[in-house]
Parts: sequence; C-alpha cells; structure tokens
Amino acid sequence: MGTAIRGGTLRIARPPASRAETLDPASGLSAYEYLGALYNRITRIGWDGSVIPDLAEKWDSSPDAKRWRFTLRSGVTFHDGHVLTAEDAVYSLRRILDPDVASPQAGVFEPLIDPAAITAPDAQTLQIDLLSPNAEFPSLLAAYQCYIIKADSGEAVASNGIGTGPFRLTSFKAAGQGEVVAYPEHFAGPPVLDRIQFFSISDQQARTNALLGGQVDLLSQTNLDFVTARVVNASSKTTIARVKNGQWYTIPMLTSNDPFDTARLRQAMKVAYDPMSMLNTAIQGTGTPGLDNPVPPEDPYWVETELKRGPDQAQKILKDLGKSNFTMELYTSAYDAILTPMALAYRGTVARAGIDIAVTTSSADSYFTDIWMQKPMMSTYWFTGRPIDQLLNQIFRSGSSYNETAWADKRFDQLLDSARAETNDERRRGIYQDAQQYIVENSGSITPFFADRLVGISKSVVNYRERGFEFDYLAIGLDSES
Amino acid sequence: MIGFIARRLGAMVLTIVLSSLLVFFALQALPGDVATQVLGQNATPDAVAALREKLNLNQPPFQRYLSWVGNAVQGDFGESTASGDPVGALLWQSLRNTLLIAGIAVVIGIVASLVLGIVAGLQRDKPADHVISGASLVAMSIPEFVVATLLVLVFAIAIPIFPAVVLSDADTSIASLLPSIWLPAATLAIALSAYIVRMARAGVIDTMNSEFVSAARLRGLTRSQVLFRHALPSALLPTVNVIALNIAWLIGGVVVVEAVFNYPGVGKLMLDAVYDRDLPILQAIAVLSAMVYALSNLAADMAAMALNPRLRTGGR
Repeated sequence: MGTAIRGGTLRIARPPASRAETLDPASGLSAYEYLGALYNRITRIGWDGSVIPDLAEKWDSSPDAKRWRFTLRSGVTFHDGHVLTAEDAVYSLRRILDPDVASPQAGVFEPLIDPAAITAPDAQTLQIDLLSPNAEFPSLLAAYQCYIIKADSGEAVASNGIGTGPFRLTSFKAAGQGEVVAYPEHFAGPPVLDRIQFFSISDQQARTNALLGGQVDLLSQTNLDFVTARVVNASSKTTIARVKNGQWYTIPMLTSNDPFDTARLRQAMKVAYDPMSMLNTAIQGTGTPGLDNPVPPEDPYWVETELKRGPDQAQKILKDLGKSNFTMELYTSAYDAILTPMALAYRGTVARAGIDIAVTTSSADSYFTDIWMQKPMMSTYWFTGRPIDQLLNQIFRSGSSYNETAWADKRFDQLLDSARAETNDERRRGIYQDAQQYIVENSGSITPFFADRLVGISKSVVNYRERGFEFDYLAIGLDSES
Repeated sequence: MIGFIARRLGAMVLTIVLSSLLVFFALQALPGDVATQVLGQNATPDAVAALREKLNLNQPPFQRYLSWVGNAVQGDFGESTASGDPVGALLWQSLRNTLLIAGIAVVIGIVASLVLGIVAGLQRDKPADHVISGASLVAMSIPEFVVATLLVLVFAIAIPIFPAVVLSDADTSIASLLPSIWLPAATLAIALSAYIVRMARAGVIDTMNSEFVSAARLRGLTRSQVLFRHALPSALLPTVNVIALNIAWLIGGVVVVEAVFNYPGVGKLMLDAVYDRDLPILQAIAVLSAMVYALSNLAADMAAMALNPRLRTGGR
C-alpha cells in the first residue's frame, strides 16, 4: 500500500437495503454507507474503542451521572451554510424518541430519556437530564442513528442528506446510484478524496465481478466467502482487507421455554464444544474464539472470563439433569455464509459429549420472522462495534426488543444498573467485567467465535478502516488517480 | 381463420386472468408481512398497523384483488409499496431495458441457430454436424448463470472488453447501456439457441429423407429449389413452436441473467420486489409475463399456419 494522493473518486458497491431506503439517519432503513460521510454525531467511538468528541468538544455530568452537558464546537456549518447550534442537536435527539420516526435507537433511549428533558441552555450547550443515572451515556450518543441533522429538517433530510460531515450529497436514489463530494468547510479539515460514488448491486457475485472487472474499488457490507476471497486475493488489482473480529457469531438458546429455561443445561451446551475446533472448522481460523463472551476482545472493557470446559464437564451436568444423550434441533439458513458452517461445526464438536444436534436449514427470506426468537436454538450474527453499555442492555437486559434469548435475569439487570450508576471509572470497569462473567455462566447465548470480515478492495485503496458500518471517511483515499 | 384467432384471443385473456389470480393469492401465502418489510425489523406495532391500514391490507384478499383488477384494466397498476413510485412507470423503464437485451438475443439467437441447425442437418454425420451438435448439447446442459459467469470471467475480467456488471439505474439512457448489453444478450442467445439448433437439425434430416423431397429431386429440381421451396417450410414447422416456447422461457431466463449482470430490467425489478414484498410490482410483472407467454404462443400458431397450407385452408 502506498500513501494516499489528495483527490480522486472512490467507487463503492453496496447491497441496497430496499427500494424504501433513505438518508434519514434515525430510520431503520437508512443507507448506512452514506451516513458517516454526510453527518456527525455528538460523540463517536474511536478506533481504540473509547468514546471521543465529534460535534461536542467536551462534556461533563453531575456527580450522580443524571445531568449531562455537552459543549458543542463553535463555527460548525451544515452543507447549506446553516451554523450548528444546540437546537439542531435537541431536535435530532428528540426525533429519535418520536414514535412516528420508529427509530431502532428509540428502544435504547426510552427507558433513559424523556424528550422534554433534552434542552439547549445556550447555543453551544446541549443538556440532557436522564431518568436514571448512566455513567456510560456519552457512548450511547455514538450510535449510527444519532447523527445530527438541521432543526426541522426531518422530512427533507431523507433525500437531501444535509449534515455537517466531510462530504456533501450531490445525488441519491433509493436502491440506485448516489454521489457525495468533499465539503471543504468541514470542521476537521477536508477529506482526502474529492468524491465517493455509491452503486447498488444486490447480487453478491455481481458485486464481486464489478470489483474484479475494475468497475468499483470497494465492496461494502459484504463478508466474502472463503472461495471468493481467494479469487479476489489472487487477482493482480484487488485484495482482501480484514476487519478484525468484525462479526459476532452466536447460537442463541431461547431461555423462556423448555428445555433451555434450565440454566445448567445452557451451561452444558457451552462447555461441550471445543472452541479451537469450531474456529478452525467453521471459519478456517480467521477470527478469535469467543468463549461465550459477547464482548469482543478489542473492547476496552473486555475481560478474560472463566468457565470449566470440556466434554466430561458437559456430560456430568447432563447426567445430573437426567438428560444424558440430549438431542436438539439447531436452525440455520443461507442468510449469511458462516451460519451453516458454524452450526455443522457445533454439531460435530458436541457429539463428543453425547449431545446429538440435528441441523435444519430454513429459508433465508423468513429467517428473522419465523425462526429468530421462535425456535429453541438457532444461529445468527451481529456486527461488532457497539459500546458495551448498548451491547449488554440491548441484547441481554430483560424485555429489550433485541434480547434474542428472551433472557430475564433480575440479578443481571441489577448489575447493568449499578454499572450505569457508578461514576468511578475503575469500579465501573469491574462491574462490566462481572457482567461478562455472569453472561458466560448463565445466559442463553453461545458465542463460539468472532470472525474477521473479509472485505474485497482494490489495491489502490489506502487507509481503509471500518468499524460497524463506517469507514474512516477523512483518511480513506487512493494511491493513484482513478 | 378469423374464428380461430378470436377463439385464441379469448383463451389468452382467460389465461392472463387466471395467472393474475394465481399470483395474487400465491403472494398472500408468502411468509413475511408487507408492512413489517417496508418499515424494517424494529417498527413499532402502531406504525405497522397504520401502514396496513394505508395499504388496505385489512380488507379481505378477494376484495383487494377485485379493486386491483378494476384499476389495472384502466392501465393503473398502483404504486410500489416500498418506494411509492407508480408501478406503470417503473415497469415501463425496466421493460425497455429488458427488451433491449431480449430483442438482440432473440434475433441473433434465432438466425444463428436456424443457420447452424440447417447446416448440421444437411451435413449429417460430417465434421460440421459433429461440432454443431456437440456444442449445442453442451450449451443445453450448462445453466445460464454459469454461461454468464464464464462470459464475465473471459470478456470482462481476463480480457476487459466489456463491463462486468451494469452500474446504471433503470432510468438511464439507452446509449449509456449500450456497452453493457452484449454479455447479457450473448448469454440469453446461447441458452436460447441450443434447443432450436437441435430441433431444426432433426426437422431438416426428417424432411430430406421424406418421399416428397425424393420426388422433387427426381423431377430434376436444383438442390437449392428443393431445399428452399419444398423442404425447409415443412422442416421448420416443429421448430416454430420450439422458438415460441423459448421466447416464453426468456421471461424466466432474464431474471437469472439480470441478477448476474446487475442489469436494470424486469427480472431485477422482480427480484427486488420479491425481497421488498412489493405486491403491486409483482402483480404487474406476472400479468406482463402471462401476456408475453400467450402472445408468443399465438404468434407461433399463426406462423405454423403460414408454413402449412393444410392448417390455413382446412376450415379450422
């Protein structure tokens, strides 16, 4: 890789969400790749996983972590010249709580924030009074639905994309083409690239062909399968970039129903498999063993958890429960290339503990309506990159809409609450680490591994980095004009 | 003859009505709900209920079907549930693009396969026949997405003459599509030709061995007179029906080929609509496909009549 030359046009092929996709960041149908180019948030997550300033220069909280005040940068302008004030931030955050907008982030904010308690004491200050203490609150404002738009632009922003980001929109068509060009007045300096073009290609093979044929430079939201990755790697003009541990693969067990309402049985299903064997069989070693901890090793709060593993241990638990020779159906689908290899690897490795798994492939089309949160055991994945507070509260807290194991554990919820109320950073870290250990021992979530995302890019792309769905829009560039 | 055409047109209308009915109720049975599909996984129940109301999803299916038919006969195919765009305009753009590749494929495919089939038939068991028959058998047994992938590998990636995929949207100009239409058209033409070559070859062989051709030869007619005036019209009779069937096959074939090339035609529109559960678009495409199917069969029967005097004058 050379160094980036200022200028140039980066061409990105992306799978369209649907013909209803939009540039409204709060929506559940937003066209992800545009968002980070067009908008900024109050805070963002740095490449090391810590919460860092974006539109806010600094922030502080009351000692009880209930009142938060964010001081916004001054002199930030939107693409149409409008100067950013705290009113824009108030509008954008209140909008997320608006039931008509149906934002996926609403579920995270509702228990914490009353819309009326989001205020602007002066033009540069955003103040939020939380309903309950949350020492991790700034990290929640880094979610990709929390981009700041101009006050009262909720309707228009879906198609005009006016934000404060390093690029401004020149064209956008749902499930079609779009283009953004550098916005020279961006507060963090102009981006390296002059222009980014986005092309919608639904079929993954067609997307790969476009890369191999030199028509595009980067495939977004595309985790290439191993065979295709080898082809892309072998070509003289393209290569594979890895997003380390970019995907969290998991086998959720439904804890609300028989048989997985028994915590000991869930534990048996975890200790029975061989982590290294699953990593090597299902993803050819391109990742990290998860050891049933949903927090990826890159997270600043990650801790090494402990659990006595092995087939003997699993057999012992099953024998105690009177469930020796346990049999179970494990659902999978072609929704993602790794789901079925993961299910088959799991079946293979738990056979040594006398567990008989039948792998059933279900239609990818209706997988998330008919199988997810319906069947006792299935396979799925998530993108990594959420801050720990959001991850644990969204997926493991009782009653959360993404709680895919339907786990309802009062002690765990109390752990989360006490972490949020703890303003001492070291003590809070300790509680989050206890929470990880608690999940490993008790939850219904098996995490066999985190997998690297294999991203096809042209060899001329430099400074490619990705976290969640976002690139480093300021630094990404090309090493020669193209 | 006029009575025959009138009867066939009546049957055609019935076919279209039945297929639209079938498709409408088959789509109702698809798992997944339009409202949740449009609003995303995280939609609130209130928002879903409001959208269901707006899309009349709470009416009984048969009532919805009747109101759809009422609008469709007036040329109004409704609005896309996903984007709100009028279906007629979307379909028209995509159809234009599909006709571009399908038209080229049909013309090149039929001309080439008739020539090859006739040559193979006349040169029976000679090297030319072996090459043509062998190639058509191979083409027949390879699925079109493999043909498409091979063409991309050779002509877009190894030797970059053509673009691998189409990056433009459906509303682009024909001129900007022109560089990209050749690989998809070639894929369709190859798939289309294989059967026609086999049928034409068989027809020519049968006819050249028949008594009336021997009689014509014995009366001293030249080889070309025998071939073009007497043998070919009856040799090609069965081939005409195969051509019609293959044009009908194109409707399905374009779905696969357009997906591989990201070509913005009816097939891609249909795939996206299935994914979005966009019923108005799917309905309109279903009716369109039924019409193409029925019309190409009607055209085949008329062509058969033109080639066979017995059908023309026999009172049917």
